[in-house]
Amino acid sequence: MKEGFRQAMAWLHTWAGLILGWLLFAIFLTGTLAYFKSETSRWMQPEIPVRSVSAETSLTVAQHYLEQHAAGASHWLIELPGARRQGLSVHWEAAAGKPGQHGEQLLDPLTGTEVHPRETLGGEFFYRFHFELQMPYPWGRWLASIAAMLMFVALISGIITHKKIFKDFFTFRPRKGRRSWLDGHYAVGVLVLPFHLMITYSSLVMFMMMVMPAGILAVYKDNAQTFYQEALPEDEVRPAVGNPGQLLSLAPLLEQANRLGTGGRVAEVTVNHPGDANASVVMAFDGADRVVHDFGRTVTFDGVTGRQLDATPERSLPVAIAGSFFGLHMGHFASPVLRWLYFLCGLAGTAMIGTGMVIWVGKRQLKHAQSAGMPLELRLVDVLNIASMSGLMLAVATYFWANRLLPVAMAGRSDWEVNGFFIVWGLSLLHAMLRRGRAAWVEQLALAALLFGAVPLLNALTTPYHLGMSLAQSDGAMAGFDLACLASGLFFAWSAWKIRRSGRTQAVSTKRPRSMVLEQEAN
Amino acid sequence: MLLAALLCYAGFTALCLSMDRHHAELLGHKPTPRRRFGLKLLGWLLLSWSLWAAVVAAGWGSGLVQWFGMLMLSALLLVLLMPYRPHLALSLAGLCLLASPIAVFARY
Repeated sequence: MKEGFRQAMAWLHTWAGLILGWLLFAIFLTGTLAYFKSETSRWMQPEIPVRSVSAETSLTVAQHYLEQHAAGASHWLIELPGARRQGLSVHWEAAAGKPGQHGEQLLDPLTGTEVHPRETLGGEFFYRFHFELQMPYPWGRWLASIAAMLMFVALISGIITHKKIFKDFFTFRPRKGRRSWLDGHYAVGVLVLPFHLMITYSSLVMFMMMVMPAGILAVYKDNAQTFYQEALPEDEVRPAVGNPGQLLSLAPLLEQANRLGTGGRVAEVTVNHPGDANASVVMAFDGADRVVHDFGRTVTFDGVTGRQLDATPERSLPVAIAGSFFGLHMGHFASPVLRWLYFLCGLAGTAMIGTGMVIWVGKRQLKHAQSAGMPLELRLVDVLNIASMSGLMLAVATYFWANRLLPVAMAGRSDWEVNGFFIVWGLSLLHAMLRRGRAAWVEQLALAALLFGAVPLLNALTTPYHLGMSLAQSDGAMAGFDLACLASGLFFAWSAWKIRRSGRTQAVSTKRPRSMVLEQEAN
Repeated sequence: MLLAALLCYAGFTALCLSMDRHHAELLGHKPTPRRRFGLKLLGWLLLSWSLWAAVVAAGWGSGLVQWFGMLMLSALLLVLLMPYRPHLALSLAGLCLLASPIAVFARY
């Protein structure tokens, strides 16, 4: 009975893992990259100057700019620069009945001059792809939530299937062919299991309304909006009275909000009806001071008198619990060291999925080792493995290269960066179909090694921010990005070399039957 | 976070050495039952101490997150080091133990 259960779980693990494994690999990889979303954007928009000015100074600069350029607007939104975010961006929206007065502008937080960086989605692309998969709403989210569900099933069934979790806890035996792949799969799976479980379960919590809406629908019938309003009450915006009023200087209000200091740093300032006697100023905290995500904690002031009007009440316990899942998943609170840890854990998750897919093919290839060709379904999985793993790496590299090589003034520039990503991904699929398995792996990985390894060089040739300079100025984001690309390039070169070499030795020993123990163990 | 990392790595190494197979791999012979028990106890003590260190340094919220991060990373490091550089893996654990009192004092 027990063995039967375990076998059923092994079957489940094998197929739940396979069915969306390619997609999960991409979701994990882009999600991992999204931990450095701001740093990636910084690298991709080198025109934005790095300034260390106080939030009060930049807020004054923004207010001055908006009073000159958008005095009649109904709303202003000011995004303040932070430790990870350069540039000061201002948005404004026209008053009702005055269309065409909608705009946004990026400013230098020190001088207030307009900054026009190259058009790009930057790190936002990876972040969006991670859960929207470049599909129109809501399809991408649906697919991502199904993938999350399968990931969860694969994790749980994998834990049950893995017989010797504690006995093999510290085991990794390299240079042993398939045995090593299994060991590697176990190692990154078991040792980083807390992260895998947290990230997968929290993604289901984030997709709660899509995955399990029954509870909310049963109580609120068709008014899911009421649920949100009750769980996360929003302050109402005071309407304009129509009498003019002098808007206060915003900087002292910012100091006042920071003194309340309940949610970290003020990241966004909204001014409703500037210039009206009923103007209000909403300061939104970034909530990066704690693990529990805050869903936008704000404090509201009267824009003319400076009186505090409102502040977000303490969240209820269920909201705090949901918030802790959001917070843990996104890691906004993470210090640089912890952020790198998140990144490494994400890579471990990606590696777990990747090794799993390779093992799936490898195990089945054993049966066809003697015959010349592979059966169609095996070949299909192999081709998709290559395109979804090494092909995706190529696509990511292309995205970075396109950012530096496309003309800065090109129309639809940011779209073409994304197009480049998908075109190369598609080409990698074509290449994997045309070439035999091992050759395709080696060629794609070698190309990825070249592209990633040359990113620092590309950066040095196309911008003034080469490694020597960014290291000297301890510009962490710039230097870190270059060095991370270099490291990935070296890793891909190493893996291409390894695969090529193991291909040679295997060609020699292909007639030797592999041990059957291995095959049993794998299932 | 440093102290927690040092203690985690040392703790995992002790736990690893408390297993016959790894003890034989790293030190050349199997441990006596007493030694096995001692290593196991030491390992768990070090791991719980690292949890304490992380929570004291950063509070329950961030401390727990950091502790789990260090736990996963140190185990991964140990497992990847062992087959390639077994001596380094062991001496690193010794170094961690030696450095941990310094990490304690560095905080004050």
